[in-house]
Amino acid sequence: MKRHDLMMKGGFVAMVMAVVPGTGQAAEGRTYYGFQAEQFEYRLGDENEKRLVWDADAFWGTDELKLRWQGEGERDLDADINEGLENRLVLQTPISDFFDAKAGVRLDTPTGTDRWYGTVGIMGLAPQWIEVDADLFVSETGDGSARLDLEYEGLITNRVILTPSIELNAAFSEDREIEVGTGISSAEIGLRLSYDLIDRSVAPYIGVSYERKFGDTADFAKEDGEDFEATYIVTGLRLMF
Amino acid sequence: MPSFKKSLIRHIATSTVLLSTLAGMQAPAFAGAGHSGGHGGASTDIGMPGQLSDVRRTIRIVMEDNFFDQEKIIVRAGETVRFMIENKGEFVHEFNIGTAAMHADHQKEMFMMMEHGALEADKINMAMMEMDMGNGMTMKHDDPNSVLLEPGQSAEVIWTFPKDTELEFACNVPGHYESGMMGKIRLQ
Amino acid sequence: MKKRIVLRALLGALGTVMLSAPSFAATYDLTVDYVEIDTGTMKTRGIGYNGSSPGPTLRFKEGEEVVINVTNNLEEATSIHWHGLILPYQMDGVPGISFPGIEPGETFTYRIPVSQSGTYWFHSHSGFQEPDGAYGSIIIEPQKREPFKFDREYVVVLKDKHPHSGERILRNLKMMPDYYNRNQRSLGDFIMDVRKNGLGATLSERADWGAMRMMPTDIEDVQGFVGLINGMSPDQNWTGLFHPEERVRLRFINASAMTYFDVRIPGLEMTVVQADGNNVQPVKVDEFRIAVAETYDVIVQPKDDKAYAIMAESMGRSGYGFGTLAPHEGMRAEMPELRKEAPLLTMADMGMNHRDMGHGDMGSGETGKGDMAGMDHGAAPSGNSAMGNAAMDHGSAGSMPGMDHSGMAGMDHSNMAGMDHSAMAMGNRADPFYAAGSGLTPKAANGGKFLSYADLKAQKPLYADRPATREIELRLTGNMERYSWSINGVKYEDAEPIRLKYGERVRFKFVNETMMSHPMHLHGMWSILDTGQGKWNPVKHTININPGTTVYSETEVDEPGQWAFHCHLSYHMATGMFRKVVVEGGPAVATLKNGN
Repeated sequence: MKRHDLMMKGGFVAMVMAVVPGTGQAAEGRTYYGFQAEQFEYRLGDENEKRLVWDADAFWGTDELKLRWQGEGERDLDADINEGLENRLVLQTPISDFFDAKAGVRLDTPTGTDRWYGTVGIMGLAPQWIEVDADLFVSETGDGSARLDLEYEGLITNRVILTPSIELNAAFSEDREIEVGTGISSAEIGLRLSYDLIDRSVAPYIGVSYERKFGDTADFAKEDGEDFEATYIVTGLRLMF
Repeated sequence: MPSFKKSLIRHIATSTVLLSTLAGMQAPAFAGAGHSGGHGGASTDIGMPGQLSDVRRTIRIVMEDNFFDQEKIIVRAGETVRFMIENKGEFVHEFNIGTAAMHADHQKEMFMMMEHGALEADKINMAMMEMDMGNGMTMKHDDPNSVLLEPGQSAEVIWTFPKDTELEFACNVPGHYESGMMGKIRLQ
Repeated sequence: MKKRIVLRALLGALGTVMLSAPSFAATYDLTVDYVEIDTGTMKTRGIGYNGSSPGPTLRFKEGEEVVINVTNNLEEATSIHWHGLILPYQMDGVPGISFPGIEPGETFTYRIPVSQSGTYWFHSHSGFQEPDGAYGSIIIEPQKREPFKFDREYVVVLKDKHPHSGERILRNLKMMPDYYNRNQRSLGDFIMDVRKNGLGATLSERADWGAMRMMPTDIEDVQGFVGLINGMSPDQNWTGLFHPEERVRLRFINASAMTYFDVRIPGLEMTVVQADGNNVQPVKVDEFRIAVAETYDVIVQPKDDKAYAIMAESMGRSGYGFGTLAPHEGMRAEMPELRKEAPLLTMADMGMNHRDMGHGDMGSGETGKGDMAGMDHGAAPSGNSAMGNAAMDHGSAGSMPGMDHSGMAGMDHSNMAGMDHSAMAMGNRADPFYAAGSGLTPKAANGGKFLSYADLKAQKPLYADRPATREIELRLTGNMERYSWSINGVKYEDAEPIRLKYGERVRFKFVNETMMSHPMHLHGMWSILDTGQGKWNPVKHTININPGTTVYSETEVDEPGQWAFHCHLSYHMATGMFRKVVVEGGPAVATLKNGN
């Protein structure tokens, strides 16, 4: 049993909060909902960049079928622009004891070019408590890409938790308009130390995050005069409701 | 420990005193006082087996599951009483005259007997032994202050009480004493 | 609570004669209310009866018919289930199975012909009202004198009161199954284990658990509760008074949602005289474990003029209930030392040994001989070499009625140490109702005797012993990661009912394939727990099955209608470890209506 097997990421969404139906215990399939923000943080970069970053998720549904929203974003507080703004809506169903399959759509609306994607993926818990979220995307322009999120929660104590995480992005073709080149395009490695302040609902944390772009993607960034790598000190709250 | 068990069962009827030896338990009160009538040398004066000719009074005691029909017996100091005891229950019960401490020790012995199968809830496994089990004379000769009766059996105990000792009559089958299958004997 | 004794007109004229069968009706009025539950450290809104939680103690008499008017003052539907009572199924109080439920503002009249005696309880069977406080106790006085004597008695209801509502708890568990587990192994434990066992062994042990994605600390799903005794927290110190030398009967009821308690009264031996309302041959213990929904009656005889602690530590040691037995008002017993170290599950609890033994042997028509062979085989790998001998002893003595067809089989997978008489004499035999090597096997705090199911023997068998007509296998299954629980891998909403035939004797084979203990409760009919003692097998309403074990119970199908059959852990029941049982045939059940 490990944390967040069922819901990995979280965000803000207005959801219809369904009431669990039925009065007889176990009389019928129950409906559940939940919200979690794995990251909701302020970042301070090594060149004094300031960012607001979130990575969140909400679900509603039964054991067999859930509707899940996954959203992440990065706001550049210096330039007041959205570097990234991504929302996904997927349907999700179990395919094994520990993994679910999911399929749906993703809409990216950062400052700049928007993109629609179709997406399929799996999420679940791999052996040794590694939380996995792996997705494939095909954009409206026909470009394919993939993302792998891994996370592990190490218990320093039962309330102090050290969470290493890694996110890898790869593209199967170039999409110059959104500055993504073919191959491994970017990676983000994080290490966060949190404290469960109120149950599991509110857990403040501090940590570090390192981001880097690779290959053509890195070159595109350089051409635009942007950094292709950055290190941040982060501080934020992990939320679960 | 099958051999232990066999020897246990063989000896249990002839002398329960041996049980404590075999089981490696120390039960001085039981060995000395519990069976004092037959062997003499009691460390506590609980009285002694009486003669029928001295009997002036008969007290009938009925055993049920798991209680005696009487909760208190009043006798005169030094009186010889005949107890006619009948087990109307569906379990094995004991009628035993002794002090609370003797009963407590005897309960350990009875627990061992039950754990080793010599005693079951509703029967005494002495069938293999050549003992007359038909008329409730069980262990009478060896154990004059007590009788152990299977369901339906009856027996009598003739007992001459001492002058003043705090005595109880009790069933020491595991759990029965604790459940209240005991009573005080008041000497007047 | 008002109690009106209404003598029926005719019988009333007969005066004081003790009459069998329903001789008079006692009427009770219960209201179901929102109440405040105050443990001294937290105040929560909950649900109670007649304005309080726990509700009252209802005192019935064997042979009477009781009429209970239940008025629902809630804003949601409710129900009351009379736990352990044998009654017409329409009175059993399970919405969707026995009746539609009691709507807000409605009064439902239960009519129960009381045909048994002992300690029972009642609770809502709707939503999470029971975890939220809707429970109370029942004492049924017997017609005949009981096989034990006591001078006074107390009901001791245990409850795991949680600050969160049941609804919220389940939602949290669904979001994150270890939401409430604050006993997980952390870095500190890792370092200690490395010191003790070396780095390699520790890593390998962690990897074994990690590979399964299971936790050895998974003993209590819902931690963070306060243990209540009769509604009172340890601070509030429920107190029962006694005079030294008195025999005090304590009627323990575990009305918890999720928590098993290990109960002891330091300084006193407890003589267990009743389990689940049925008398058992008295057995002296120092401590016992009470599964959720079980009851145990014990007799204690405090001899000293001092306060004794009633200590109920939870099985996973994450909480406790505490109360006092005192010779005078206003005393508080000294708190016994808490056993802080939480037990850890072992691979045995994961069913590792279990698989070795092979269930295949246990088909229908086992013979005693075959079973013994099977047992030797099963026990050998787990190191219980004594088993074979003990079994042979039994066989040759022929002293265990019914053992050939059932007794030994019942013990099979759960290791046979309990049958080893020589070990028993030492007082520390392994409990056969835990997997060999289980981390859950209890030990008495004082090193003394801890009650086992194997110690329970019916005082007076309710039913003649006879071979079961058939066996039904119920694998207790679940997925901790998804927090979903099931029987034979199927959740309630997807399952067909279990169909039984009136008049048959069915043998249930519970195979616990999960790493948690499950208290399985069959409504409406008794469960005869197979402890290998034939006619002395104890009769219960709730059968606990520990991880990695197989337990058998038999039921004489003697009540028509439809019944619930489920794990009594609230959140296991709610997520699907539940079945409807339909009894086909038998006398037609008169249509019973709401008595109003």
